[in-house]
Amino acid sequence: MSKWNCFYKRIKHEKQTLNITLSMVKLLHLGWCICTPSHYKDIGDSLVEKVEILKPIDLELACTWTGNPNKLPNITGYWRKDGSEITNSRLTVQLENEQYNLKRVFRITGDTLGNYSCIFSDTDEAKIDFNKKDKPIVAYVGDSVAMACKTKLPPNTWLWYRANGTEQELINATTDPLRYKISVDGNTTKLTVMNLTAEDSGVYVCSAIYNIKASVSRVEVRVITFMEPLKPFIAIVAEVIILVLLILLYERWSSQRSSHSPTGNNIHTALTREGNNGMDENTTTRQRKI
Amino acid sequence: MSPAATTNLGYTPPDGGWGWAVVFGAFISIGFSYAFPKSLTIYFKEIQMYFSVSYSEIAWVSSIMLAAMYAGGPVSSILVNRYGCRTVVIIGGLMVGASMVAASFGTTIIHLYLLVGVIGGFGLSFNLQPSLTIIGKYFQVKRPIANGLAMAGSPVFLSTLAPLNQFLFDNFGWRGAFMILGAIVMNCCVAGALMRPVNMKTVQKHPVTASKGTTAKKAGSTENNANPEAGDLLTETEQKIGGCADKLMDLSLFKHRGFIIYLIGNVVMFFGFFAPVVFLPSYAKGIGIDNYQAAFLLSIFAFVDMFARPGTGLIANTKWIRPRIQYFFSFSVAYNGVCHLLCPFLAVYLGYAGLVVYAVFFGVAFGMVCALLFEVLMDLVGAQRFSSAVGLVTILECGPVLLGPPISVFTSQEERVGWGRHGNATLRLYLLSSRPCTNTTVRHSEDGWNIYHGFSEFLCHVVILPTHREAVATGMSRSVYPSCIQGFDHNTIYDGILLPVV
Repeated sequence: MSKWNCFYKRIKHEKQTLNITLSMVKLLHLGWCICTPSHYKDIGDSLVEKVEILKPIDLELACTWTGNPNKLPNITGYWRKDGSEITNSRLTVQLENEQYNLKRVFRITGDTLGNYSCIFSDTDEAKIDFNKKDKPIVAYVGDSVAMACKTKLPPNTWLWYRANGTEQELINATTDPLRYKISVDGNTTKLTVMNLTAEDSGVYVCSAIYNIKASVSRVEVRVITFMEPLKPFIAIVAEVIILVLLILLYERWSSQRSSHSPTGNNIHTALTREGNNGMDENTTTRQRKI
Repeated sequence: MSPAATTNLGYTPPDGGWGWAVVFGAFISIGFSYAFPKSLTIYFKEIQMYFSVSYSEIAWVSSIMLAAMYAGGPVSSILVNRYGCRTVVIIGGLMVGASMVAASFGTTIIHLYLLVGVIGGFGLSFNLQPSLTIIGKYFQVKRPIANGLAMAGSPVFLSTLAPLNQFLFDNFGWRGAFMILGAIVMNCCVAGALMRPVNMKTVQKHPVTASKGTTAKKAGSTENNANPEAGDLLTETEQKIGGCADKLMDLSLFKHRGFIIYLIGNVVMFFGFFAPVVFLPSYAKGIGIDNYQAAFLLSIFAFVDMFARPGTGLIANTKWIRPRIQYFFSFSVAYNGVCHLLCPFLAVYLGYAGLVVYAVFFGVAFGMVCALLFEVLMDLVGAQRFSSAVGLVTILECGPVLLGPPISVFTSQEERVGWGRHGNATLRLYLLSSRPCTNTTVRHSEDGWNIYHGFSEFLCHVVILPTHREAVATGMSRSVYPSCIQGFDHNTIYDGILLPVV
């Protein structure tokens, strides 16, 4: 699990310095800072901090990235504004104290407000896009299954593949409209597979095509028959029936035992399942004193 | 307090023996009733994607289930009065089980509304109401403990159902999970089997002393209890008292001043009672605490709640508190309110540690109120009329329970603070404390309570809200919460679970 922290410091332009750390933001802020680890992890977490700038200031943004498993001594870090790379911002970042630090001072004015992101990478980075699913989706034979992928920025196109080992086979919804349905809605896409069979189990890949590169995310689908949940279902129902019968039998047995005692009158016979309705009234009326 | 109301059962309840098995049965029933609707929310994302509907449409399933559960109260009362507790619980268990199994084959969202929502909700109400009633039949002296133990079912089942549901979902998808849940819920039938009607032969006859002052609605009953001194010869009507069967529906309760006050107080309180439970994780995330820690707060809360309920039952049973149980209840509601008032302070000055402390105290407060909620009602109206009373109370509570959190969201987004809902808690106390007291010497203390409550409310609205508006508004208003954590959809496990149910 990689962790990163963003530290913000307003520089003395306004004769005051404010340290705002990510964990306790006490004022409402405007604007964004995104820290994203790159494709070192194919699934990452992003944290977005809103920073409000009251006047034009010089703002120092710092990103720290810890926990990179590869522990390369040098990686490249650069900054993006509004999703596109800021020119000449690439720097080599050294590994110090188990973390990589990237800092830059930005002059923020009314014109330069926007989303700033810091990116660490060793090669061309890919934007992370995922609908995080470590666990497979379970679906049933004859039923349908739907899976979705989502990104921050809408890509040029979306493609869906069916992965078989190392090869990928494109899913074409137009040739097979009874089986596949693909819908695209801005930065989300949804694939619905209908009339499932056992062979439809496997990995499905959604691919977001950008100008730079495509980024992918995988989802596993597992198709099972109705027999599978039926077994625990029957087991539990059997357990319920057995317990109910045991309890009622115990009741009948213990009331029969006490009916042999000298108190005479037939009491409260054990309630059988059929006799539940109105049985209460019968037994209570029967046992009157005297 | 009002001892007279509790002794007109016509017999002395056993207070033990098979009663503890009945408490266990009630524990199971109550646990399922309260925890089940909340725990279904885990499936919502998947079902939403499957049926291609919006989240609010899917959330209707839980809301309808809750509404049916509360609205089914009077129906449940009537059935219990007619057929007895055991039958109704077993029928309820079968209804929920069958509806879940049928829903697992559903093809549209409407099927889910009808099956899970309406039928499932009614089935749960047939579980809840008789469980509460039968405790009153079996216990008199130890009733608060029995109530506390039975109500502990709710947090215990919630903590078990949540991971269980996740497990079922991962292995069987939502359809298979619904089917298996249907089977699991049928264990309510086992609970129902445990609810043996009280064996009146073996308990002693107890002369009816208090007049109920109501007319019997059952066909064929001739005498009412207007003449209690007629003594030992108990009539047909009274003979039915041993089981859960009473008159069909006792509307004379509306003439009972204590009952009316309890009702009004409850309605007001429930507007605000569940708001903290619903918003705590969002608030925590809003002040910068991460997802898992925010969810952990709720685990702490539920864990503390689990022990607070029987603990409160034990305390309420002591000889100092039992006679004054109404005041103890008032105290616990006020304590709730105070707890929430202090929350922003704790959060702002102590951060996460403060919130943990708050979760612990809130857990205790919530448990106290829930454990005493029905005990107090039993104490007020007596076990005889309790079944009708609880039916009426639940249907009237339906409104605030369902409307409370949305109203809180609405008011918090307008920058008026949702924590102000706790002013409602103190308001409730204000009402409760003017309840009828058989002992007129405590009247002066009522004034004391009134002043205290009025002050708490003043404190809340005038002092705390303006100074902590931002911190609190930031927390409460979901729109401010930075929601860019993709992939962390499982924060909804806890967000979703927190539907407004006890």
